[in-house]
Amino acid sequence: MKLPFADRSADRSHKKAGVRGSARFKLTWAIWFLVAIHAVVVLAGFFAPYNYETQDREHPYAAPTKIHFVDCAGKFHLRPFVYATRNDDGSVIGYNEDCSQPAKVGIFVHGDEYSIVGVHSTRHLFGVQSPASIFLMGTDGFGRDQFSRLLYGGQVSLFAGFVAASFSALVGLLLGGIAGMYGGRVDDIAMRLAEIFITVPWFYFLIAVRAFLPLQISPVVAFLLVIAVIGVVGWGRPARLVRGVVLSARERNFVLAARGFGASNSYLLRRHLMPLTFRVMLTQMAVLIPQFILAEVILSFLGLGVGEPFPSWGNMLARAQQYNVLVSYWWMLLPGLAPVPVFLAYHSLAETLQERIKSNI
Amino acid sequence: MTSGNPGFSKSEEFLRVSSLSMDYHAANGDVIHALHNVDLKIGAGESVGVLGESGSGKSSLAQTLLHLLPGNGQIVSGRVDYQGRNLAKLTAQQLRKIRGGEIALISQEPALALNPVLSLGRQLADVLKTHSNLSHDEVLLRCGKILRDVGFPDTERVMRAYPHELSGGQRQRVAIAQALICGPKLLIADEPLSALDTATQADILELLQNLKRELGLAMIFITHNAGMLSTLADEILVMRNGAVTAHGSLNELQDSADEYVQRVLFPEKNLLSAPHKTSTAAADEKSLLQVRNLSKRFVQRRMLSRKKFAVQSLEEVSFNLKKGSTVAVIGRSGSGKSTLARCIAGFEMPDSGKILLEGQQEYRQRDVQMIFQDAATSLNPRFTARQIIAEPMEIARWKTEVDRTARTLELMEEVGLDAAWALRLPVEFSGGQRQRLALARALAAEPKLLILDEAFSGFDLPLQAQMMRLLMELQSRHGLTYLYISHDLNFISLFAEEVIVMDAGRIVERTVPANLAHSAVPATCELVEASEKLHVPGVEATV
Amino acid sequence: MIRYLARRIGHAFLLLFGVSILLFLMFQAAPGDFLSEIRLNEQISPQTVAHLRAQYGLDQPMPVRYWKWLKSTAKGELGYSFAYNTPAAELLWPRARNTLLLSVPALLLSWLIAVPLGVLAAGWKGNWADRLFSGGTSVLLALPDVLIALLALLIALKTGRFPVGGMTSVSAQDQDNWARLRDLAWHMVLPVAALVIGSVAIILRHVRASVREVLESTYMRAAEGHGLSQRKILFGYALPAAANPLISLFGLSVAFLLSVSLLVEVVMSWPGMGPLLLEAILARDLFLVIGAVMFSTLFLIGGNLLADVLLYVFDPRIRRQA
Repeated sequence: MKLPFADRSADRSHKKAGVRGSARFKLTWAIWFLVAIHAVVVLAGFFAPYNYETQDREHPYAAPTKIHFVDCAGKFHLRPFVYATRNDDGSVIGYNEDCSQPAKVGIFVHGDEYSIVGVHSTRHLFGVQSPASIFLMGTDGFGRDQFSRLLYGGQVSLFAGFVAASFSALVGLLLGGIAGMYGGRVDDIAMRLAEIFITVPWFYFLIAVRAFLPLQISPVVAFLLVIAVIGVVGWGRPARLVRGVVLSARERNFVLAARGFGASNSYLLRRHLMPLTFRVMLTQMAVLIPQFILAEVILSFLGLGVGEPFPSWGNMLARAQQYNVLVSYWWMLLPGLAPVPVFLAYHSLAETLQERIKSNI
Repeated sequence: MTSGNPGFSKSEEFLRVSSLSMDYHAANGDVIHALHNVDLKIGAGESVGVLGESGSGKSSLAQTLLHLLPGNGQIVSGRVDYQGRNLAKLTAQQLRKIRGGEIALISQEPALALNPVLSLGRQLADVLKTHSNLSHDEVLLRCGKILRDVGFPDTERVMRAYPHELSGGQRQRVAIAQALICGPKLLIADEPLSALDTATQADILELLQNLKRELGLAMIFITHNAGMLSTLADEILVMRNGAVTAHGSLNELQDSADEYVQRVLFPEKNLLSAPHKTSTAAADEKSLLQVRNLSKRFVQRRMLSRKKFAVQSLEEVSFNLKKGSTVAVIGRSGSGKSTLARCIAGFEMPDSGKILLEGQQEYRQRDVQMIFQDAATSLNPRFTARQIIAEPMEIARWKTEVDRTARTLELMEEVGLDAAWALRLPVEFSGGQRQRLALARALAAEPKLLILDEAFSGFDLPLQAQMMRLLMELQSRHGLTYLYISHDLNFISLFAEEVIVMDAGRIVERTVPANLAHSAVPATCELVEASEKLHVPGVEATV
Repeated sequence: MIRYLARRIGHAFLLLFGVSILLFLMFQAAPGDFLSEIRLNEQISPQTVAHLRAQYGLDQPMPVRYWKWLKSTAKGELGYSFAYNTPAAELLWPRARNTLLLSVPALLLSWLIAVPLGVLAAGWKGNWADRLFSGGTSVLLALPDVLIALLALLIALKTGRFPVGGMTSVSAQDQDNWARLRDLAWHMVLPVAALVIGSVAIILRHVRASVREVLESTYMRAAEGHGLSQRKILFGYALPAAANPLISLFGLSVAFLLSVSLLVEVVMSWPGMGPLLLEAILARDLFLVIGAVMFSTLFLIGGNLLADVLLYVFDPRIRRQA
């Protein structure tokens, strides 16, 4: 165990070439990854082999399809393929592969029709000919492909988090900025209000606020409602942060000096205050978004968010609460793992941004 | 002045530093050569003084001797041998035994050297316990004794106290006690007496001399004040830019022809050699600034309470400033001098009274510029030097971008900055350079009056001398008028033509610096007395 | 000390008031009234409905309703649950106790693990242990609490060693106290474990960061210069100095833990405030909703108060200010 400043002889930490280089690498990796994930999710129609509603009544709770390169006879094929499966012995769970029905995995195949932003198409990135099916993550109780639903569900969860965070950030920016800029009574009131919002335990507040709104609503309305709720509940911390930044920045001597040169308020805001708050806000967003994605997942999980038939990572997980599902169908837990890489990326982002701010004060 | 401790021959090499070089990585990736081929020899019971301007590597040397490098520093070459053993080759545990036990370090900023959440007694006792096997009671006794030695009569209270309950000078003394408590053989002291008043300085010096005489305590004494070394150091090293440029006894160095050495030994002489301010004939009889009956009150109110605290910061302040003059305003903290400056600069609105610039009540704010005390906070850390200096011109929409840049470079040269640094950030400049940046920015606004609010407090004497010279050049070239707010009487007495003394929001005296010492006004006497305490014995300013 | 505490408590009360007012304001926006549920409950006679209506001012403007609710709270009732036909407090107290039964051990356990480990981790720099620490905590942080709770349930189901959800077993009801205690403890293991896993990572990280920051200070260098041992420096000097930010973190961790406990309780059928709140929401039992939220807020504020006290005890600078 070494203290950070003793006995340099064995220290490796600064021998790494360019400590700053590794931070930049983390940053670019995180950003590209997030961009990719969001792109895939937006283009879910294309990347998913099936629509989110497509049901295969003959294959409820099917395990993830195995992809083969070697067939039943032991022959190797270059191109991957799957076998159709069927419920041979009539048992409720368990499907066996039917060696007589191989199906090659195709690229850019035709499948269910979908539309992205008004553009219709039937091309999917990959798929197989029926009667075989390619359920990369198995199916749920209605025989719907979980992988496809995951991608569609990502639309809800990821964007709900993103939009809600933007909303919170905006409100926080506005209120915090005003509080910091004008000080005095306004500041007091705003901050007391923020404190009230911060004092209530996050999830309790979330579902309570949701409680005050109608429960039986269409998924679209639910989506917007969820965003609004999360955004409203979460404005407290960003507001306090922004207010702190503006307050300290306002008193900085360089702002005073600029005043001394005859700078107008708008100049000060534009040239000095906004850049400072912007950086802080950006970092806040990287912290807020994963929290808000989680909030959406939880709301939907509890049945208070987006509902059937539209998938969300939360409501997909809700099924797993039933004991028989939990024990027998492990793939139903996979939607719970979906947020992990996303969160890792956002956390990386937040960390690097925070370090940048600290070293640049 | 030689060590007379029996048992140690003078030539026995106690500590030997050979060709020591140390680098560290700055935040922006640059490699800084903090030490370059430093050689140092010290025998048991001897003492060595290390002189140099700030940035010369003195503090780096102190830390490197004990292998206490900053997180991003490493020894590139050379070695340090203590009693014949190469410190770099010791295990961590052996090194720890030496630190504090045999070689003790008093670091530069005493206020920061004490853990804020632990009692002083605990911190003192821990050092002793680490290096000895004494019983608890014996430890307490020793702590009490050392505290008395450094000048604390009420050792009980100090032992129980926390750092924030003591003044800076007292904390310094505790830090010294910590270093001495284990009876080390070598003491490395980095500016240990800077925060103390004269009487205490004398006491501690005497203590150190006693230790040297009776116990053969070897010392390395780092300071920028040569006077102190006259009684303490057998040999003096002069450092510059990380290397040793001269060494010898004080007498030898005094005769040195090296300009740097002279500057370092007699910084105040340097101040005097600067073109002294004389009231030139060019000084206009007309007043540039007229302040009439300025008053300002600050009201503070506690949340949820009816009580209001009113502080009368300024009360009926009136005075005139002649164009081209340099006037200083002095006073204790709370006397209102800063508020006065801010009112004149337009950062505060006075409750009543008038401020007239060249006879006008409505004057442009740009005509009065202020240089703040801490350059680091008065410059936007994300602006480049060019953006900082060009800002006033930009706000005023002066000419074109190209013209502005050209003028920026001109201004940089004028204040003594390298124009090639125009795209650097403030953090890459040193403290003195940052103030130059602030000056250049102020000049860009073409002001008539420049207010300097404690702009050079905290700079060491040589640096202050440089800045003073620069200011005088700028004044003659641009016809500026200066209002200098400060509490440092020494600097002012060499720089200002007139001094205004403030106390409790009022002007109590206005006179020339030379008369300050004979003043009858109590507030002035208080200030003079306090400054004498800080005035370091040794080198007397010859007027 | 008393004055300091009194001020903090006064502040806490104000906050509670503020929260209650906020919740009531949100009520205004709620469609339908409190009574829609009760009308469906045939066990309640119309006279009772009328009586309740009057008692709680349900057809009157908000300030009146709020005032009546305050009175009811002062009486210890906290409004009325229309779905269960009983004062809200009666339902809330046992549930609140159960939530504390999970949260408090989880809190203690998390901190007991995180502090020593985090302090040690602060001393690692750039070596494999440091990277493992960073990586491990990153992954734990990224795991959704929902998943952790579900996995806990899965473990119970698969191994059969732990009771699957719930707080007590029917079989233990008639046995002696000792057996009942053991039964309770056995039921607590998995939920508490889920809570700890969900919250320990963030505390670990903060402890490491705070201690690291302290280690960079000048006084730590000075301590090193005096030759103090590494263990003494880390635990005797760095940790106390880092106590201030850590204690503030304590307050935050209470908030965090309470939120996660809601989820764990629901998934693992632990009869705490979480499931009650959920039921109340689905039943539109709005007084109960407010009551549950107020209780959880109370716990949070309690945690913050505790943190304030600890701060006073451990940081001499706060003592001076107070």
